[in-house]
Amino acid sequence: MNRSANVLIALCGVVALTLLPLVAPAYYVGLMIPVYGYAIALLGFNLLFGYTGLLSFGHGMFLGIGAYGAAIMSSKLGVRSFELTLVAVMAASTLIALPIGALCVRYIGIFFGMLTLAFGMLFHSFLFKFYYLTGGDSGMRVARMTILGLDFARYNKIEFLAGPFYYYCLGLLVITGLVMWRIVHSPFGLHLRALRDNPLKAEYLGAHVHRFRLAAFVISSALGAAGGAVLGFRVGLADPELVYWTQSGQLVFMAVLGGFSNFFGPIIGALTFTLLQDQLQSLTEYWRFVLGAILALIVIGFPEGIAGLAGELARRRTRSAT
Amino acid sequence: MSAFANIVAGGVFHAAVLFLVAAGLQLVFGVQKIVNLACGSFYALGAYFGITFIGYAHQFGVSEWLLLPGLVVSGILLGFIGPPIERLLRTVYDRDESFQLLLTFALVLMFEDVFKFVWGANPRSLDSGYLIYGTIIAGDFSIPVYNLLVITAAIAVATGLGAFLQGTNYGRILRATAENRAMAEALGVNVRRIYAAVFTLGTVLGTTAGALVVPTAAASLDMAIEFVIEAFAVVVIGGLGSMRGALAGALIVGLIRALSIVFYPEFEVLAIYLIVIAVLIFRPAGLFGRSLA
Amino acid sequence: MSVLLETRKVGKSFGSIWVLEDFTMAVGEGEFVSVVGPNGAGKTTLVNLLTGLLEPSAGEVLFMGETITGVGPVELTDRGLARAFQLIQIFPRLTVKETIAAAVISRQRKRWRLFSRLTGDDAVDARVKEVAEIFGLTTRLEHIGGTLSQGEKKLLDVASTFALDPQVILLDEPTSGVSTGEKHGIMKTLIAAAKREGVKGIVLVEHDMDLVAAYSSRIIALSEGRMLADLPPDRFFADPHLIETVIGKRRGH
Repeated sequence: MNRSANVLIALCGVVALTLLPLVAPAYYVGLMIPVYGYAIALLGFNLLFGYTGLLSFGHGMFLGIGAYGAAIMSSKLGVRSFELTLVAVMAASTLIALPIGALCVRYIGIFFGMLTLAFGMLFHSFLFKFYYLTGGDSGMRVARMTILGLDFARYNKIEFLAGPFYYYCLGLLVITGLVMWRIVHSPFGLHLRALRDNPLKAEYLGAHVHRFRLAAFVISSALGAAGGAVLGFRVGLADPELVYWTQSGQLVFMAVLGGFSNFFGPIIGALTFTLLQDQLQSLTEYWRFVLGAILALIVIGFPEGIAGLAGELARRRTRSAT
Repeated sequence: MSAFANIVAGGVFHAAVLFLVAAGLQLVFGVQKIVNLACGSFYALGAYFGITFIGYAHQFGVSEWLLLPGLVVSGILLGFIGPPIERLLRTVYDRDESFQLLLTFALVLMFEDVFKFVWGANPRSLDSGYLIYGTIIAGDFSIPVYNLLVITAAIAVATGLGAFLQGTNYGRILRATAENRAMAEALGVNVRRIYAAVFTLGTVLGTTAGALVVPTAAASLDMAIEFVIEAFAVVVIGGLGSMRGALAGALIVGLIRALSIVFYPEFEVLAIYLIVIAVLIFRPAGLFGRSLA
Repeated sequence: MSVLLETRKVGKSFGSIWVLEDFTMAVGEGEFVSVVGPNGAGKTTLVNLLTGLLEPSAGEVLFMGETITGVGPVELTDRGLARAFQLIQIFPRLTVKETIAAAVISRQRKRWRLFSRLTGDDAVDARVKEVAEIFGLTTRLEHIGGTLSQGEKKLLDVASTFALDPQVILLDEPTSGVSTGEKHGIMKTLIAAAKREGVKGIVLVEHDMDLVAAYSSRIIALSEGRMLADLPPDRFFADPHLIETVIGKRRGH
């Protein structure tokens, strides 16, 4: 799929999402905010997975840092600005990701997956160990904060989420998308993909193997934290479940569902997964089974995900047209 | 002193169960290079089915003395799910490892709801006492004979597997296929059948371990995903693909768990995972594994 | 004439087995040095030592007068020593253009640019097109690495190495897996490219003695981990015993 087609589709997407609150019921509008949160986190995750070739099974940890960071900032430290919270959790995430990443990027494949899973679960156990701070099983409260310095006090929670906060998160996603687009299409981004395809050759063409992978890891962690803060704010709660390894697995699910070889795949994946899960949950209590079956189907039959399918269909259409 | 001995005994029992599952994992990884995230699901399946099986057995008047053999039989019976699941995994053998991980993760998700559907959301346990076999008491130290039997069974399996892999022709074929699949195929080995057999064996080890554990613990929905953590700690500490590693890793994890439950309950997962990380840093191949990283 | 790449009594052992011993050689400006020897003689070990993939067990390796011990491949390419591999090494999912660009980025010291656009970078673009032209890959620029023919992949491997603009290039059997007809074509392209690009020294590890005879200014022969000879071609090929050892004993008599 060529670049301008991608950009056009992205533009249409943004326009559609901007108009959504005017046409859709408040419930679905509210559902979009976790989508945005996950999408932001996944754009970072996919830098590591799709572009650098490293599969992390502990990424939920950074979403946890974001959510719990937001909780600490708002409930314990009384910080009111969400922007400040975002900056703080991204900084915290970077600091934590540096040593962990420095260790993990020395390994690839299954060892990288296991190491990240181990660190994720370690963080999870920390959350329970310090339950007097983190609330253990019940999680930690995230108080309502100001966005762009505005209080929106006259809006009740639902109005706030379907209105100002919706557009705020959409804006965050667009900014994240632009930044990630730049990174992915930069010289650094090219070296990442070279490292993914052939680390030996890439190194002999001047790409620092560990340093670049660490950079990708740290960037993905920061975005994970940002997404986690959005999620925490939306729910009003930082939930330890966010950090459990199955949640990290769910992130991978979303990335693969949307298509990890495509820039927009993660966003598509976040949207599809959330809508799917929502619909399935209202249809049956065995929605996990259906989701599992869908994941199996994708892995076996459609490894390029939805984006891949769409691209394939577009290619066939142009081929039959010529 | 005897309190310590009791703790160790408990740890060794847990290690025995862990070893069985880990041995299955090691076999499957060693021969097929598949990391099976659904091992915990097999374990839980064994537990749930074991309860149902024994329940039915009692209804039909089977003696309570046959508890242990009954559980073992129930575990082996579940082996029938091995071949179809292996067949499913076969579709992604030649692809990137990530896809294998994801496919087994999909199985984890599906199994969770299978358990919910068949056995409900509440934990299930075996109401007949495993104390039917009595308890050995020496002063303050006591250990149920059932636990001893399970430990013995695990040791038997360990030696049996060892002898099988090192001493028999089939065992040698397995090891050859593990070393070099292409070569084995060129030499006329029916790799497909070997893969199916190995995976089924691994499955049976997992389900039987789960069945054996039910007299002492309840089967619950969380069991599957929680167990994966421990099983992986065992395999990483011991070294991927190594049977001796499974034994060593199981003992280490089992004992840490037992010790921490008594002294520092919150530290249990922490301690295990700190050791996992330390192993991955200083000796990534694990205690007995070959260098892979 | 200044020495670019040299080894001083370098040796490598694995355990108690010495794969390479007491090896001293030098490559100077304007030289084309070929390294030959039967399989197992230690050629690959030498190449790995020269490019920093292996650490010497004895002696040292110097590039531009400085030791390369502990210097990683990236730093080494920055200093001006580049290597092409024996087994074809390319990026299966990147295009020819991107592959060459990866090298150009390193050369132009742009590797840490996270936010600048690669596609709009004229400096990179121009250089990529330049290198592609030298190696006859201009028509293949938008093709994905994995779809190229064997010969083209080989060309790409070498072309991307050249794009690093190195002082010394180390070619590890660059014509292996290539048909005899294409071999001379590739070598001529390489040498013309080297001259054009200002490559000051070439080290070639080769089995094909025709190529070695045709292009080298000096030939170094390795056998069983030790240096047998370090001679210009005319004196090298005048010694039948030498040739027999390097190529292998003739059958029968």
